[in-house]
Parts: sequence; C-alpha cells; structure tokens
Amino acid sequence: MSEPVVMMDYFMHLEYEEVVCPIVRRYADALMEGKILGQFSPKSGLVYVPPRSFCPVACEWLGEDNLVELEDRGVVTAFTVVTPVQYYGQEETEPFVKASVLLDGPGGMLSLQDILEIPPDEVRIGMRVEAVWLPPEERNQDEIGNRSWGSAAGAILGWRSTGEPDLPADTFTDKVY
Amino acid sequence: MSSHDIAIVGYAQSPSWERAELTEVQFLFPVIADAIAMANIDRRDIGFTCAGSCDYLSGQTFAFVSNLEAVGAWPPISESHVEMDGAWALYEAWVALQHGDIDVALAFGSGKSSPGDPMQIYPLQMDPYTLTPLGADPTSLAALQARALLDSGRITEREMAEVAARNRADAVGNPAAQVSGEVDVDALLATPYVTAPLRAHDLPPFSDGACAVIMATADKARDLSDNPVWIRGIDHRIEIHQPGMRDLRESPSTAAAGKAAGVGDGPVDLAELSVAYTHQERILTGALGLGDGVKVNPSGGPLTANPMMATGLSRIAEAARAIQRGDGKRAVAHATSGQPLQQNLVCVLEGEK
Repeated sequence: MSEPVVMMDYFMHLEYEEVVCPIVRRYADALMEGKILGQFSPKSGLVYVPPRSFCPVACEWLGEDNLVELEDRGVVTAFTVVTPVQYYGQEETEPFVKASVLLDGPGGMLSLQDILEIPPDEVRIGMRVEAVWLPPEERNQDEIGNRSWGSAAGAILGWRSTGEPDLPADTFTDKVY
Repeated sequence: MSSHDIAIVGYAQSPSWERAELTEVQFLFPVIADAIAMANIDRRDIGFTCAGSCDYLSGQTFAFVSNLEAVGAWPPISESHVEMDGAWALYEAWVALQHGDIDVALAFGSGKSSPGDPMQIYPLQMDPYTLTPLGADPTSLAALQARALLDSGRITEREMAEVAARNRADAVGNPAAQVSGEVDVDALLATPYVTAPLRAHDLPPFSDGACAVIMATADKARDLSDNPVWIRGIDHRIEIHQPGMRDLRESPSTAAAGKAAGVGDGPVDLAELSVAYTHQERILTGALGLGDGVKVNPSGGPLTANPMMATGLSRIAEAARAIQRGDGKRAVAHATSGQPLQQNLVCVLEGEK
C-alpha cells in the first residue's frame, strides 16, 4: 500500500480583466496631453485627483461639469522613505521616497509620487515641487486603472524641488495621506 | 422567541449589466441614494449599515471598504460587512434593529463579476482538498443536482425549459432584468447542452449590479411610510458543505428556515426565490410547501437578472415592490449561498393594505 497523502500542491490562477471607468479614461487621456484633471465637489470643497465621479464625504455625484484642470506644481505634505527588501519582483535596491503632493490652485492630492534629483534624507514636508513630465511620445496609460487612485505614472516621471522656500510644515497636518 | 416588528421602507436596484463600465462603488452610489430617497430619511438617520459583497469577484482586496464610500462614512458610522449575499447583510441589520437602540438600518449587496471568471473563482470556496482541485464550479454542481432530480422523475427537461420561458416572459418590463422576452419552449429544448443536463436557458446570467434595502422599527416605519412592508419572519439555515453527503434533490435547510420564518402560518400570494438554475424552482417550492396558486418569481427572478451578492437581497426588494404594487398581500423571499443551495435564507413579508 502506498504512503498516505500528507500534502498536496494546488496552484491557483485567477485572471481579471477590468474596463477602465469613463471618468478615469478622461483623466488618462488628459495626462497624455500634459494636463492633470480632477473633480471638484461644491458641497465638501474637496478636489479629487484622479476624478472618481462622486464625493464620499459630501455624498455628492460628480459629473463632467465638476472636472477641473489642476496645476502641475504643489507642495509635499507627507512622505515615506521606503527601504527595499529584496522580495520577489522588487526592482529597487536603494532607499527611495513616496510622497503626497498637494497641488496648487484648486487643490487635489496626488499620493505615492516619486521625488527626483535629491536623496531621501533631503525631502521635507512643506517642500515646493513641480512635475517632471515624460516627453509626449514616451507617455503611456499602462499603469492607469480603476484601482490606481493617485497614479500619474506613465506621464509624470516624478517631482523635483522648485527651489522656492518651504511652506510651514504644520500647515499640512490634515493632509497626511 | 418573539421579535420586534421591522418593516421595509425603502429599496432600490441597479440594472443588471453583463459588463458594467462603472466601478462597483460608482454603480452602488445611486442605488444607495435612491433607497434613502424612497425611505424619506436623511442619510444620517441610518443607525446601522451592513453590506454583502465578495472581494474575489472583482479581484480587489478590501473592495468592500471602498464600497462604503457610496454610503457616506464620514463622520464615522456604525457598519459591518458579510462576505455573503446582501440578504444576509439584511439579516444582520434586522438583528441589530431588534436591540432597540436604533430605529433605521441599511443593508446592501453588490458585485462586479465581469472582471473575473466565476467558473474559476467559485471552485475556490469549495473544500480545498477534494473539490477545488476538481474545478467544482457552480454549473457542474447544479448539473449534478439537476441530473439527480431528473433521474428520480421529479422533473422533466421540458418543465425546466418552461421555468426559463416563464421567467423571461415575466422579466419583460423589469428595468433590472438582463434577459427577457417571449421564447418558445420547443425552441429552447432544441438547443444543445452546456453542461448536461443543463442547457443555456437553465443557467443564470452572471450580472454586475447592486441592491439596497432600508428597514425601520415599527413606530419609525409608520412615520416614514404609509405603505410599509413588514418582515413577519426571517431565518437562515445551512447544510453540510460536501455536496456528496447531501440528497441534492431536497433542501432541508430551506424547509427548516421556511418553517422558522412562518411561511406556513398564512396564505402565500407570491414568492421571489433564488432560482439560479431552472430545476431548483421545483426543489425550493417543495421545501417551502408553496402550492400551484403561488406566483413564483413574478420579477423574472435570477434566471433573468443575477447580480452576484445582490441576487438574494433583490428577491426581498422585488417581493416588497410586488406587495406595495398590490400584486399580493403576503410574500416569501428566499436567498441562497454556497453550491448548490447549501445555505438558505427565508423571509416572510406582509403588506398593510
């Protein structure tokens, strides 16, 4: 008689294919033209970037009329220094920064943005930054989907210091996400 | 055990899409808003919210958290989630209302099946040693059940096709239906098997969609609505997971839940049952003791609109709508979970007029 089975492998594979929703398609197309689109909620005064078709705070549906073109300059309101662990698929080897950037003008927050040209220990809350766009012919929408809220990857390489004086860090204590 | 009277005062459903362009939270948003508007309440009047959904369907971890954005969760609200059909969310909200410290509760169910392949996803909920590796998908298990029923002479393939034809005809005019129209039974029977003995018409569509229901305690319900629909009884029971250890021709859990919910305590005018496979109508009407005079699935039922995780809750909403429309005074709504008909919830609804 053969040995009893004590362990078995079952390799699971699931594939998902998702339609990018209409408002995010608008956002992605605008990025290709070098524009950052957001949606403004009159009731809450908040700006969502990428647009998401509704404001969860005011419970207000947002349409095309609520689209606003945002500035490609802003200020770092929060950041994390990531020290990469070499798990499978990790391509980074040196510490890097992922930052939240509050855009000038009507506002809107892009999260998980790369800060370029300076080492991680020189990134500061309150630091003024500007977008570094990829050349139009190199832009793509590969990374943009319904789930990648905050992503401008494929169009904006990252953000660099404008050299202007920092803004007071404690101005942004409610903008830490 | 006696329970406090709870009534349904608002409900709404999305269309059933084969492939929704909007995200799950985006198509939930107007459904929640419509249910709130029908209940004639302010969003902040809701004392407890419970959602039913399945992250595996859309393939997004914590999708159920972002679904809450459609409810409005700031300032913070009291809420819960079940990884089940929204009918079980309604059950949890009904229990919450029994405590008496709140007077309005919201239950909703939503699912976006289109990004993934349900035939791949659903085997993962089965026994991981003996059933998942076999790819025990819902269609195959339903086909085994149908075969057992056919072999015992309790139903014929023609009678199964007649269920499909009746459902599709009834679904004409239902804005939530994905499949509808007049079809010829002989024409249906001339089509090939998909998974023998089931043909395409014996199978449900897999829809993207959502449903929301708002309940209130007795005094509050009378304040809010001149036509509340009362939940006279609600109960759910579960059977053993392994289908091979069950007599698939029967549904003792449905029978037990129906008895506990009081189905037999009065005449039943109509029933909205989670008949996702044509042959299951015979099993469920038998388990619930519903006679020929009971109109079954006047909305068209799950064979015409099957928004996963909202299909069961939609039965409750459709039954409430039928009562309010005056199509009947007393109705039975049924939801199911697991394969095939493993767990069953039965709700008895009654109108005032």
